[in-house]
Amino acid sequence: MKQNPILDSHPQRIIAKNKEREAKYNLVKAILLDIFFVFYTIIAVQRAIYYKFILDLRELPFSWGEIGIIFIISVIIGTTWALTKTSLSCKLFGVAKDNKVTRWTVEIFGWVLFNVTFIAGWVVTKLSLVDLFSAEGIEGAQRIFGALFQPEMGIFDDALFAIIETIYIALLATLISIPPTLILSFFTARNLMRDNKISFAVYYILRIVLNFVRSIEPLIWAIIFSVWVGIGPYAGMIALLVHTIASNAKLYSEAIENIEEGPVEAISATGANKIQIVWYAVVPQIMLPFLSFTIYRWDINVRMATVIGLVGGGGIGTMLMQYQGLARWHEVGLIVLMIAFVVWVMDYISAKIREAIY
Amino acid sequence: MILEVQNLHKIYKNGIHALKGVSFGVNEGEFLVIIGLSGSGKSTLLRCINRLIEPTSGKVIFLGKDITHIKGEELRKVKTQIGMVFQQFNLIRRRSVITNVITGRLGSLGTFDSLLEKFSEEVYNDANKALETVGIGEKAKERADSLSGGQQQRVAIARSLMQNPKLLLADEPVASLDPATSNSVMQYFEKINKELGTTVICNLHFLSLVRRYASRVIALKAGEIIYEGIPDEIDKNWFKTIYGEEAEEVEIR
Repeated sequence: MKQNPILDSHPQRIIAKNKEREAKYNLVKAILLDIFFVFYTIIAVQRAIYYKFILDLRELPFSWGEIGIIFIISVIIGTTWALTKTSLSCKLFGVAKDNKVTRWTVEIFGWVLFNVTFIAGWVVTKLSLVDLFSAEGIEGAQRIFGALFQPEMGIFDDALFAIIETIYIALLATLISIPPTLILSFFTARNLMRDNKISFAVYYILRIVLNFVRSIEPLIWAIIFSVWVGIGPYAGMIALLVHTIASNAKLYSEAIENIEEGPVEAISATGANKIQIVWYAVVPQIMLPFLSFTIYRWDINVRMATVIGLVGGGGIGTMLMQYQGLARWHEVGLIVLMIAFVVWVMDYISAKIREAIY
Repeated sequence: MILEVQNLHKIYKNGIHALKGVSFGVNEGEFLVIIGLSGSGKSTLLRCINRLIEPTSGKVIFLGKDITHIKGEELRKVKTQIGMVFQQFNLIRRRSVITNVITGRLGSLGTFDSLLEKFSEEVYNDANKALETVGIGEKAKERADSLSGGQQQRVAIARSLMQNPKLLLADEPVASLDPATSNSVMQYFEKINKELGTTVICNLHFLSLVRRYASRVIALKAGEIIYEGIPDEIDKNWFKTIYGEEAEEVEIR
């Protein structure tokens, strides 16, 4: 049998080359990460611990020159440190020398990094047990808890209508989201889109757009749409709808990516076309996960809809905000109890339904 | 000659060189068995023949036509003529047996009708006949995943029969079945080969099955053909060459 010498040497050469390139990239990554670590440590120690905690300054001094100097110092220290191949980042990216120096630096610097972060976090969040347990604080807590546990029943009918509005906002957002989510999920499933360059580009762009939409909280979307279509339940519904489509498209497409490949292979071997393959080999495998995600999302949306009401998205949240603004804690108490009850019921029902369909 | 494979190479993206210049021919009506260890390239070879995998270089000639580089509609037409049966059966679990069998005909059905699952009387008759051929006509209405392993594999064979295939590929069709069931499933391949005259290429592990069913044998080792001949000529020495020094032949009846 004739052997092809170029083909034979091919694979080994590629593997060796890839390994070399990977090592080079990892060292670059390690240098960048070390620079960041050093920069972060200096800034955290200087600003949070020295200025705020030790000097107890109210207004922190800020100058770009100072930051610039710190950055240059970090670049020098970080680069030198990474190039000795004994740094924390070298260890993380697997390019470190395996010796005592590495172990010591990793251990000491890891410990420093953790403590600096914890102390800086403490200072920044103004964590103070004094405020929590001062006489004044306790008195305020008594006032509000007392009111919350004596709910004002006079507004019960208004609150009931408001909470029904909230449930409908959530339900409609979930229902309308289903068709666009279904379509999007097929176009954002890697295993269906990787075959040619055009479909892969579509996949990639859609993924970026959806990630962007999803990374903006429904609360922010509600603010945007309350300016766009006016304050009220409609704005709240659209806000939830947008976020639901983006997050469920991700979940759906992951379900598609996790299907068994066997049936797909078998159906495509019969000469079926792409649409037939999806309908017969993919769809039956994803029906149940899709249904389960959608029901769960309705449950999430009820909770979100109450929060969205706070920024003008309609429903019980808007009502809560109004009474909170007037400091009428007895009314607030009733609303909070009703929200808690509805959320608990929704949670229970959705869990039961999801259990039943599996 | 129904199929001709010429100097076929396959290098996967991760660098594995699965086929290293494989060449052979298959005559109409043959029952060709391919043997070899796991990882010897048997599955890759079958998938290169019906283009589930793209070969890196070389040629596949089916019914006198070079099908190595055809695409789209043309490739689908060729695929409808080549049936395939898999080790894991690869049925649609949640659907009925009859629907699973009908999927074998999808290549020659309209997209719209198949989405509505509107099939003609003729398609149903053919599907029932295919199920009769593999002896499970009474299971048509049951869900595919309620059947036993051997029965599921027979459904998969019925599915490939719906294609009226010129060539039937079988990738270790009995490797996940028990010995008794293995033999009964192999008998259906024999029946299709003898009665319908379908050419069969089958990957197998057990030499006793090979001796019983094969009309010709090819042995693969590390992506190369190291033996080609009739099954009775595989003696102890050949067996050790194919499966390694420590291998011991086990019987399966």
